[in-house]
Amino acid sequence: MKKLTQAMVAVIIACAVLGIAIYKLNHAQGYAGKNTLSLYNWGDYIDESLLKDFQKQTGIKVVLETFDSNEAMLTKIQQGGSNYDIAVPSEYMVNKMAEDNLLIPLDKSKIPNFKNLDSRFLNLPFDPGNKYSIPYFWGTVGIAYNKKMLPDKNFNSWEDLWDPALKNDILLTDGSRETIGMGLNALGYSLNDTNEKHLLEAKAKLDKLMPNVKAIVGDEARMLLANNEAPVSICWSGVASEILDENPDLDYVVPKEGSNLWFDNIVIPKTAKNKEAAYKFINFILDAKVNAQNAEYVTYSTPNKAALKYMPKEMTEDKRFYPTPEMTKNLEVYKNLGKENLTRYNELFLQFKMATK
Amino acid sequence: MKDKINWPGRLFLIVIFAILYLPIFYLIFYSFNSGGKMYHFQGFTLEFYKELFQNTRLLIIVLNTLIVALLSALVSTIIGVMGALAIHQMRKKSKNSVLGLNNVLIVSPDVIIGASFLILFTTAGLKLGFYSVLLSHIAFSIPIVVLMVLPKLGEMSPSLIDAARDLGASPWGVLSKVTLPFIAPGILAGFFMALTYSLDDFAVTFFVTGNGFSTLSVEIYSMARQGVSLTINALSAVLFLVTMLVVAAYYAVAGRKKIRVGGRK
Repeated sequence: MKKLTQAMVAVIIACAVLGIAIYKLNHAQGYAGKNTLSLYNWGDYIDESLLKDFQKQTGIKVVLETFDSNEAMLTKIQQGGSNYDIAVPSEYMVNKMAEDNLLIPLDKSKIPNFKNLDSRFLNLPFDPGNKYSIPYFWGTVGIAYNKKMLPDKNFNSWEDLWDPALKNDILLTDGSRETIGMGLNALGYSLNDTNEKHLLEAKAKLDKLMPNVKAIVGDEARMLLANNEAPVSICWSGVASEILDENPDLDYVVPKEGSNLWFDNIVIPKTAKNKEAAYKFINFILDAKVNAQNAEYVTYSTPNKAALKYMPKEMTEDKRFYPTPEMTKNLEVYKNLGKENLTRYNELFLQFKMATK
Repeated sequence: MKDKINWPGRLFLIVIFAILYLPIFYLIFYSFNSGGKMYHFQGFTLEFYKELFQNTRLLIIVLNTLIVALLSALVSTIIGVMGALAIHQMRKKSKNSVLGLNNVLIVSPDVIIGASFLILFTTAGLKLGFYSVLLSHIAFSIPIVVLMVLPKLGEMSPSLIDAARDLGASPWGVLSKVTLPFIAPGILAGFFMALTYSLDDFAVTFFVTGNGFSTLSVEIYSMARQGVSLTINALSAVLFLVTMLVVAAYYAVAGRKKIRVGGRK
């Protein structure tokens, strides 16, 4: 009994020490104040030194929380219990959240820096008139490949993936919209096609690709490519720009038939407590210099036109990640296809995955 | 003769330990990589350790994780021991049904437990944050403690308690002088199981964190999209070292006591 009591006291003392340490750190960080902004963002998707700058400028402390998928974020916001002032969903999720009445319409007069945004990234189908959302980062879906391992291959078109020489070489992304969309694009159809005949054609086309597929993977594609363990992968431009930095043998290309244009967007959820701070923060992050610093840190492409001139030239002049308007003409943004069509996509994707080589 | 080395057995042990420890050492090794990635070791650097100790947000999250683990393990051990004592007293039929309910909680998927806690807390109007995480960790740890303590109670001979009563011990006396010391190893095991469960739980914790309160597992998961930085490797190395020290200290204390007891004999 004595030993147990001692152990219990030891645990309680340890807790007290930890509690004091947390309190001290929170104060040192300035988190304990009243005027706070709760930011719900992807992990490592903002330069955290900017949060301190924001606090210096406005006196508002930013509490950062992170999520790892759109769906996970949606669950937390839908259920309430936590008052996020700003969230950063991808485009299809903005659409869904707006439909579910989870977002507040933005008052543009409180965001003077809205003018810094490039007009070609505004007023897109997932949020006409940018009623609910402001683009945060954008990018494309394309092919990342290893020039050294495939010296005589040149990827320009989706069709190049079907080359029999690429047997067991390609990594696909584990997403139904991405993969079925690639099949549709390869045939010259729209990414948002819901025509049953076209979908089946795309599926048949993909089946023929199967001998070339090495694996259907998630985030580990980055590692496999960078380590030269696979020569070709379908991937997002943000991922590509990072691994290109690490491994100079790699290159990235957006096929000429067209591909997907994606956006991560800033929104204010209905449950927000400190809307004034949220507006101030949005305006802050849209400031040209601040945005440039953030884009340099995150390395994804920024939709902020004014920020580009504060960024290193080798970043902004890289056509692979900052394609010209001419090059983005063929790119499509995902539309919300509705539950039924999405199920159809998932079904076809599952059938494709289960097919034996 | 008894201590003769059993080579196949020893080899097996070495292989198993290598499988268990190599990934950890691999990870620690790369925490010193100046190249900044988990491959191509370029050179030795302590940069990530420096970064770790400057990252107040990450440190707060680490401390949060530890305090939740310790507190939830403590509370769930107390409740779990009381529960085990009660279950032990029951008749066979009701005992089996209660144990069944206990086991259902252990095998049910974390995701479901997490989602139901989220719904429960939000409908009850409890704000997500420290208390919601603590409460849910206590809840999922209790069944484990019960399961660790019950076998010890089963091992205990009933005549031990009868003898204590015959010698005039009060119910409290029996509990504190006989029962609890006897089941102490089970209680400690339950405490440490609860501690580890709480430390590495992601699924339940993800649902109930909020309002600026987060734990390490949730934070590391959400870094996945950008690639986990070597600061996390450095943090893992530090945590591994601390764990090793705690275990070593435990054995040092426990070993000394054994000698004293032996001497008294």
